[in-house]
Amino acid sequence: MTAALATFNQVFRGRRLALLGVGWLIIVAIAVVFAPWLTPYDPLEIDPVARLTAPNAEHWFGTDHFGRDTLARCIYGARMALLIGLGAVVVSLVGGTLIGMLSAYFTRLGHVLMRVVDVAMAFPALLLALVLMTILDRSVTNTIFVIGIVYTTTTARILFGMTLKLKNEVFVDAAVVTGAGHPSVLFKHILPNLISPLLVQATFIFAFAQLQAAALDFLGLGLPPEIPSWGNMLAESRVYVTRASWLLMFPGALIILTVFSMNLVGDALRDAIDPRFKDDIAGV
Amino acid sequence: MALLEVENLSLALALSGMLKPVVDNISFSVDAGDTLGIVGESGCGKSLTALAIMGLIADSPIRITGGAIRFEGRDLASISEAERRALMGDRMAMIFQEPMTSLNPVYRIGDQITESLGQHRKLSKKAARARAADLLRQVRIPDPEGRLDAYPHQLSGGMRQRVMIAMALACDPALLIADEPTTALDVTVQAQILDLLADLQEETGMAVMLISHDLGVIAENCKDVAVMYRGRIVEAASAADLFAAPRHPYTVGLLNSIPDPDADKDDLEAIPGRVPTIDEVIPGCAFHPRCAFAQDICRDVRPGDAIASKEHTALCHFPTGGAE
Repeated sequence: MTAALATFNQVFRGRRLALLGVGWLIIVAIAVVFAPWLTPYDPLEIDPVARLTAPNAEHWFGTDHFGRDTLARCIYGARMALLIGLGAVVVSLVGGTLIGMLSAYFTRLGHVLMRVVDVAMAFPALLLALVLMTILDRSVTNTIFVIGIVYTTTTARILFGMTLKLKNEVFVDAAVVTGAGHPSVLFKHILPNLISPLLVQATFIFAFAQLQAAALDFLGLGLPPEIPSWGNMLAESRVYVTRASWLLMFPGALIILTVFSMNLVGDALRDAIDPRFKDDIAGV
Repeated sequence: MALLEVENLSLALALSGMLKPVVDNISFSVDAGDTLGIVGESGCGKSLTALAIMGLIADSPIRITGGAIRFEGRDLASISEAERRALMGDRMAMIFQEPMTSLNPVYRIGDQITESLGQHRKLSKKAARARAADLLRQVRIPDPEGRLDAYPHQLSGGMRQRVMIAMALACDPALLIADEPTTALDVTVQAQILDLLADLQEETGMAVMLISHDLGVIAENCKDVAVMYRGRIVEAASAADLFAAPRHPYTVGLLNSIPDPDADKDDLEAIPGRVPTIDEVIPGCAFHPRCAFAQDICRDVRPGDAIASKEHTALCHFPTGGAE
């Protein structure tokens, strides 16, 4: 525990903005865990009398066109945001790590796999996600899967390069001459050296996945409309934006804050791991 | 029977469909318990030979184009990948030039030493740990039990090389290949490591193949010596013979270029010219452009082994000293 605290201190010392990011993410995490206790309203409960109420003491964030409480929907939306973010991180890191490592280690396989990755990367991320979502049904699993696939390509590229470098390290040769086989070399000697860049990659994927998910929801190709997510809320607010601007502002602000926080944390982690990229703006 | 036998081994670099020879028809053998020194300038093929023996060239553009490597009578080219892995780390081991990078930075020292024990000896965790501590004691690392939990970055270069040696010795190998084990170390540490290797060799009876560009290191530690130049063994002899009566002009040049602290002169004697790149095709003797004794025949005809005696060979048309 003290070791964890020391590491935390090392990464975030003097980075006030990044610490604010951590603070915001903790708030989001609390909202995710304690959602039912944080609001008296059900995010799905319709109240036609109170539709499109502006923010007031009863409904802090106002209500939407069905009279549903926006704050409750925002809090429950955080659950979706976290689920999609984590899911996309797991899918893309597992896929990207396997593709990248195997491609770099087995050169012939790499020639084939990395060309496939190149082709996938030639599509803009959103376009690729749209194409895949058009083929698949709108569901939470498919959204996670599609966003994960999109970021698998970049992860594979990064891991490919790092594995190429690592596999020529002397300690890998040293492992081979003690009789280590391919699986042992790959997963016991190379993979642990990739943990820190993977961690950094995870934070950025988490952030980008939020944007991607919101974009898909907004275009009507993400989560099913009945699920309260920040992107779906944005999509629904479109029609009422002149009369009920709070419907746009609250979920929009949540997306921006979360993505920005995650990027700040990612920057801090990356700088701690690889100081070469460190920018000179103090405190950032 | 020799422990390790390299017979007419040739290696080539495969680049854009062309094969460029880098090691040409070399033969040598190491008997159990003996020490063979291989000496030569950078790029002469000595390290590649070691990598080829350990099977580390599989994923590189280096190809074996001829000859055989036999270990304990078995042709290493004909055994399966699993059989090779069973040999590596158990019967033969290797230490590398760069102690700073040859340990995995994310593992504790103890885990790295016990890894090959677990693989080849199927020892229990506790027994392997005890053995690892023993090994660290054997390579004279103070507080061995405590060091087992250290990470590589917490150790100095000399300490890391000791750990590498401990790893290599884990399963009592019959042959240890040491590829420039002291090149990256301070001179004082260098001497300690070489002494340690010599002591360990005496204790365990393993054979050592010591690769170096440092004639001093070779002279002090080896029973037999092979001098390599541009992929060929140009002179091979017992250490005593080689240093007392070198026969190949290249060896003579190397020996002359060792500074003599007593001599009253400021200039270092060097071999003129430079090591040719592998792209250059040199007809005749590969050393003739740099050789003071080169004659017409050296420019046209490749020298065969001018055998001074059965134990002392030199690849030269006009070997110095000896027979005449």
